[in-house]
Amino acid sequence: MEDLKKLYDAILTGNFKIARETTQQALAAGIDPQALVQQQMIPAMDEVGRRYEANEYFVPELLISARAMKASLELIRPLLAAKGAEPAGRVVIGTVKGDLHDIGKNLVAAMLEGAGFEVIDLGVDVSPEKFIAALNERHATLVAMSALLTTTMNSMKTTVEAIKAAGVRQKVKIMIGGAPVTQKYADEIGADGYSNNANAAVALARKLVAA
Amino acid sequence: MKLKLIACEVLYREMCALIARSPHQVDLAFLPKGLHDIGSSGMLERLQAAVDGADTPGYDALIMGYALCNNGISGLRARTLPLVIPRGHDCMTLFLGSRSRYQQYFNDNPGTYFLTPGWIERGESAGELRQLSIQNRNGMDLTYDQLVARYGEDNARYLFDELCDQTKHYRQITYINMGLDTDSRFHDLAEARARTNEWKFDAVEGDLSLLERLVFGTWPDTDFLVVPPGHQVVTTYDDRIIAAEAVQE
Repeated sequence: MEDLKKLYDAILTGNFKIARETTQQALAAGIDPQALVQQQMIPAMDEVGRRYEANEYFVPELLISARAMKASLELIRPLLAAKGAEPAGRVVIGTVKGDLHDIGKNLVAAMLEGAGFEVIDLGVDVSPEKFIAALNERHATLVAMSALLTTTMNSMKTTVEAIKAAGVRQKVKIMIGGAPVTQKYADEIGADGYSNNANAAVALARKLVAA
Repeated sequence: MKLKLIACEVLYREMCALIARSPHQVDLAFLPKGLHDIGSSGMLERLQAAVDGADTPGYDALIMGYALCNNGISGLRARTLPLVIPRGHDCMTLFLGSRSRYQQYFNDNPGTYFLTPGWIERGESAGELRQLSIQNRNGMDLTYDQLVARYGEDNARYLFDELCDQTKHYRQITYINMGLDTDSRFHDLAEARARTNEWKFDAVEGDLSLLERLVFGTWPDTDFLVVPPGHQVVTTYDDRIIAAEAVQE
C-alpha cells in the first residue's frame, strides 16, 4: 500500500498533481474508491486540520491541501455517484448581499468539499432570494453564509428571515462566519451555528447535518 | 469643557482643522492607522491602553475618533471619565457625516473602496502593525515570488488568485473630498488608482458635521454613545450600532 501513502502525503503537502496521478493509478489498479476516500484522503485532511489547529499549518496550507483533495475527489466522485453513494451533505454557500469578499467563503467551501460535502457555491453579493432558490433547486440541507463587514453582516439576518418566510427554515441548518461575526450574533439572528475558522466550520457542518 | 480626543490618525487633518475652531479645549492623541487590521481583541487592547492613560483628573470626557471599526471598539471600558463615541460602522460614517448617508451610498455602490487624504497619505500599515495584521498572519500580503519560494510554481498562482489579489473584492474607488484640500493632489491620486485597477471612479463631498459635533461637545443620543464610568461598549447589531452596559466584575 506504499502507493496509497503517496496520495495521503500529496494531500497533506498540497501537491495536487501527485494527488491526481496517484488517484488515477489507484483506480486503474482496481482499488475501491470508497476505501481511498475513507482510508487515505479524509485522514489526510483531518491531519491538515490538526496541524492548522496546532499552528503548524496556516491558511495557504489549508488552501493547497483542499485543492489537492479536490483534484482527487473530482476523479472519484463520479464513481461514488454511480454506486449511489450520497455526499456527506449538500451545502449552499455564499457571501451575503452587499459584500464582495470571498477569501473566507472560498476557504470554507474548499474545506467542506474536502470533507466530502457537495458544495453549491453562489459566489459573492448573494441576495436572500438566490440563497432560497438554490436551496429549493438543489435540495441542500445546509446554508453557509459569510460576511467581512459589520455593514453587510445584517444581510445574514435578512437572509435567515427570508428563509423562514419562504417556509423552508425547517428543512435546513444555517451556519455563519466572517471576521465581525460572533456566536452571540448567530444566537441573535437564529442561525444554528457559528465557526471562527475554516477547519472548525467542517466540524460544525458535520455536527449540523448529523443533528 | 476640557476634552481629550483619542483618534485614529486617518482623521489627522480633519481633527486638527476642527479642534482649532472648537469652543472647548481639546487635547489630542493619535493612534496609528490600521488597528482594525490586527483583529478586534488586539485593537481593543490598544484603545483601552490609550483610554486608561488619558483617564486623568482635569478632563470632562474622553472623545473617541473611532467607530465600531470591525468590533475593535466593542468591550472598551470607561474608567472614571465618560467616553463619547460616534455611532458608525467605520470611519466612512465619520467622513460622510451620517451613518444613513454612508449606508445609502454603500447599498447603491457595492464593492466601493473609499479614499480620503488620510487614507491616501497614511494608507499602508507599516512596521509592527503590519506584522500583526490578519493579512500578514494569513499569508495574504505575500508577493507572487514569495509564494513560489514557499509553495512551488503550481500552487503559487492559485494562492495568489485566492488570497493575495485584493482587487477582486472591489469595483470602484470613491474619493471623499473633505473640503480641506488645497490642490487636487489627493483627488488625482485616487482617480489614478482607480484607473490602474480598472475600476469605476467617483468623487463625493465629505461632511464634517458629525466630527464637528464630537469635538464641539454636542452629543445627542441619536448619533453618539456616551459611555458612563464603569460601563463598556457593546455591539447592538442594529441601527444604534453600539450601546453601553455596566461592567460586571
